[in-house]
Amino acid sequence: MKARILQTLTDLRTYALSKPCEIALFYHEEDSALMRFANSAVSLNTSEHLIRLEITAYAGRKRASYEMITDLTQMAEMRQGIDIAAEMVEHAQPLAYDPTIPVFSESYADESCYDAALAEIDGASKLATVNAAVTGLETQHLKLSGIFSSGVNTVAQINTRSEHTQFFRTTDAQVTVVLAHDTLKWEVQAEQSAQRKSDLDSQALREDLAFLVEQYTHAPAGQLPLGSYDVVFGPAATADLLNFMNWIGFNGGMARRGYACLREDQVGHKILSDKVTLVDDPSRRETFPYRRDYTGIPRGPFPLFQHGVFAAFTWAQDDADEYGAQPTGHSVGHKSLVLHGGSGDVDSLAALAAAPRDKDLLYIPFLHYVNIVNPTKGLVTGSSRFGALLLKQDGSIAIPFNVRLTQSVLDIFGDKVAWLSQQTVPYNTSHSYGARNPTAIIVPRFVRVNDLEISHANASF
Amino acid sequence: MLDQMKMHLDRIRRSGASYVDCRWYPFEESNALTMWNGNLKQAAASRESGVGVRVLYQGAWGFSASSDTSALGAVFDKALDNARIAAERVTFPVRLAEKDAVQTAFTSPCHIDPFSVPLSDKVAFLKTMDELLDQSGIFQRIGDLTFMRKQIHFVDSEGSEIEKNITEVFGSLSVLGMDAQGAAHQRSFRLNQRGGTRGWESIDKEHFAENAERIVRELNQILVAPQCPVDDRSVILLPGQMFLQTHETIGHALELDRILGYELAFAGGSFVTLDDFGKLRYGSEKLTARADATLPNSPGSFGFDDDGVPAKDALLIDRGILVGAITGRQMVEEANARAHRVIFPESGGANRATAFYRVPIERMTNINIDPGTDGTLDEIVAATDRGIVLDGDRSWSIGSNREQFHFGTEIGWLVEDGQITHVVKNATYKDDTLRFWNALSAVGDPSTWQVVYVDNCGKGQPNQVMQLGHGVPVCRFDGVRIGE
Repeated sequence: MKARILQTLTDLRTYALSKPCEIALFYHEEDSALMRFANSAVSLNTSEHLIRLEITAYAGRKRASYEMITDLTQMAEMRQGIDIAAEMVEHAQPLAYDPTIPVFSESYADESCYDAALAEIDGASKLATVNAAVTGLETQHLKLSGIFSSGVNTVAQINTRSEHTQFFRTTDAQVTVVLAHDTLKWEVQAEQSAQRKSDLDSQALREDLAFLVEQYTHAPAGQLPLGSYDVVFGPAATADLLNFMNWIGFNGGMARRGYACLREDQVGHKILSDKVTLVDDPSRRETFPYRRDYTGIPRGPFPLFQHGVFAAFTWAQDDADEYGAQPTGHSVGHKSLVLHGGSGDVDSLAALAAAPRDKDLLYIPFLHYVNIVNPTKGLVTGSSRFGALLLKQDGSIAIPFNVRLTQSVLDIFGDKVAWLSQQTVPYNTSHSYGARNPTAIIVPRFVRVNDLEISHANASF
Repeated sequence: MLDQMKMHLDRIRRSGASYVDCRWYPFEESNALTMWNGNLKQAAASRESGVGVRVLYQGAWGFSASSDTSALGAVFDKALDNARIAAERVTFPVRLAEKDAVQTAFTSPCHIDPFSVPLSDKVAFLKTMDELLDQSGIFQRIGDLTFMRKQIHFVDSEGSEIEKNITEVFGSLSVLGMDAQGAAHQRSFRLNQRGGTRGWESIDKEHFAENAERIVRELNQILVAPQCPVDDRSVILLPGQMFLQTHETIGHALELDRILGYELAFAGGSFVTLDDFGKLRYGSEKLTARADATLPNSPGSFGFDDDGVPAKDALLIDRGILVGAITGRQMVEEANARAHRVIFPESGGANRATAFYRVPIERMTNINIDPGTDGTLDEIVAATDRGIVLDGDRSWSIGSNREQFHFGTEIGWLVEDGQITHVVKNATYKDDTLRFWNALSAVGDPSTWQVVYVDNCGKGQPNQVMQLGHGVPVCRFDGVRIGE
């Protein structure tokens, strides 16, 4: 298949060379399957095979693009797409800067994150994985929801500047298992991200769920008083907050546009807790990495924060072109963010609950619907969900109804950080609105942050 | 193609499926232009085509889609295979509410096809707008135009055959500026319903120019404004924020699949239960809300949903009492059975898919609030002691059961003793959903009612982005916490 894809792109390039403009071709193929669960049934079982071809035409400072969903058999249709892009660019308006057209100096292919076993996983195996995760936990009132999303993602590129190609192929799976009480309305969750079939571990999912179900079934539940709490974030919450840091923090283009909480004069200065080291590390296969970016720049570990010191902004090619910055290899579908582990020695929820504590801890595994309130201050807001716990100083556990946090990411990852777990886990963040783009962020199993304000507390589940 | 689709429908039906449907998109096209600080950052077009097949087998759904229509039979076979696997875990066998089989067509109202307009004209329009926005105090200028056009052929095993031709036009202008403290603020204009058609004729240069001047002026007011105070006040929402309030805390809360727990793994549930219909006081007596897919000329009006059910005008909240939901064929059957009573006599015709490769789910149509009798905006302000007028969605975050929310707006105007005093920046408000709607104390008259278009409502897994509308008046809510 790889050879056929690259030959097709090469043939299309030959056609594009006849045009009075430069042409870049970006091929995306997804073989996606999603088994969705609700009310303890498979509510949906889908599969889609889609090929997208994005054609970008450049004429001096003018640029236009045309995207099509197509098929490798449709050469005439794809050539017509090139015709359309070439015609569009004639009518485009020149940019105020010179857009870079990448020149691939050699062909590059990376299939190291492709796992044939995961690519070929069948429906029965997926169903068995989820069944095993909830064995003995479902009841008449405690219903299974969730997804088993899996797929093969292929990206390939060529342009008229050289005959060389880039080719990336990955496999991925995201398993989310929710047990929700149909009358009391509480819900607990366990999740897993897999790049290989062997990453899937039903037993680990079941252990997390069983612990939370036990607590939610027997511990007292109630509304939290508003005020300041020491919060322990789980992987989902930490990854979500880092995603916002990625968006409105160290993104060079966003900073130049005034939509970020970090400034260029802060590079080299301590901004976050000295316990925070954050790296874009494409050597980590769990992040479904791009080891070259879409312009051909080789990608290696790229420090963002080292012991709290802000190391660098990331610059995608187009932003770098517009603002005269040096591109940093970040013209990619996603970064490979890794928040390094710390000194915390708890590596499971049960261990966290059992550990002695100096005061009450509010465990928030997941933040629902986080959004930006004030980008310049890094202020975001979101609500707890999926299994929050109040771990009381006396060793007992209570169930808090959901609460809202409205905080700056600079504060959350600032000097209020008490500790991070040594153990790290990949958290799958592939909530794509468009084409499949498997993404994961590696985060400590737990991150404790002291003195965070709860601004709203629900009166019930 | 249609004959082949019907042939495979029959074949899969004979293989044991109780229901089959197929949506064929001969084409779906888009054209998106973004001009940012005078740079045409995006001049993009797209075209796609393909089929999506849905099969119901032993009470379970299977779905498959492909852009390769030459392998149509394989797409049907895969959908049946997927349904067979799903049938191994069924707790409530899917049944579909009755509907009439129809052979018909629907075309959205469009006078000038935007795809017939030269790209150079569209770019020239954005350039003109960019020049108008390029004023003192403005740090970033963004102009967007998006056009969509699609044809859908729907056939099902119950004899329905529907052709839909839909054209959408969206446009917006935004400006950003920095205040003296280095904080960014923005003011935006979004093209909403104007007249009876939406084609290139909607891109009215004079209308955009008036609003370009307005958002520049208002942004400059925001940049020198004091911070929004933390306070409890009456909140007066203009349609530019009222649409989002309605969208998030009535629309999503009343999607029947959410109420029944079908979105619990991701988007969330709803605080509403089946027991609440006919009883729950959702809001004050001034609140009447409806899902009206018959409203002329809106993205939430599409003729027939992707179950093949005709557009309906369904009452959701009647003078404050919850009476209806946003529904499709499957969910109304399940809800009635679970409730042991007929809450929903028929499908509300709101089951839609965003593309051929996505399965239909309950989506908002036009979720509207009926205009009231409390007068114009000026009259509502004059009747308010301590309040704030809010406009422009800037930030939104809602609890997973839609039970509480936190919104930020682009601009706020404080009201003291019936008079607007001054603009404030960083305006926010938050509340519990039911308390908020029950604090509805004034609903503007028809002069305040506008249909606001939404082009980016996300829901479902795999995620689907949908277009819809909200017809909303100016509304006032009392005792709301602002400024946090």
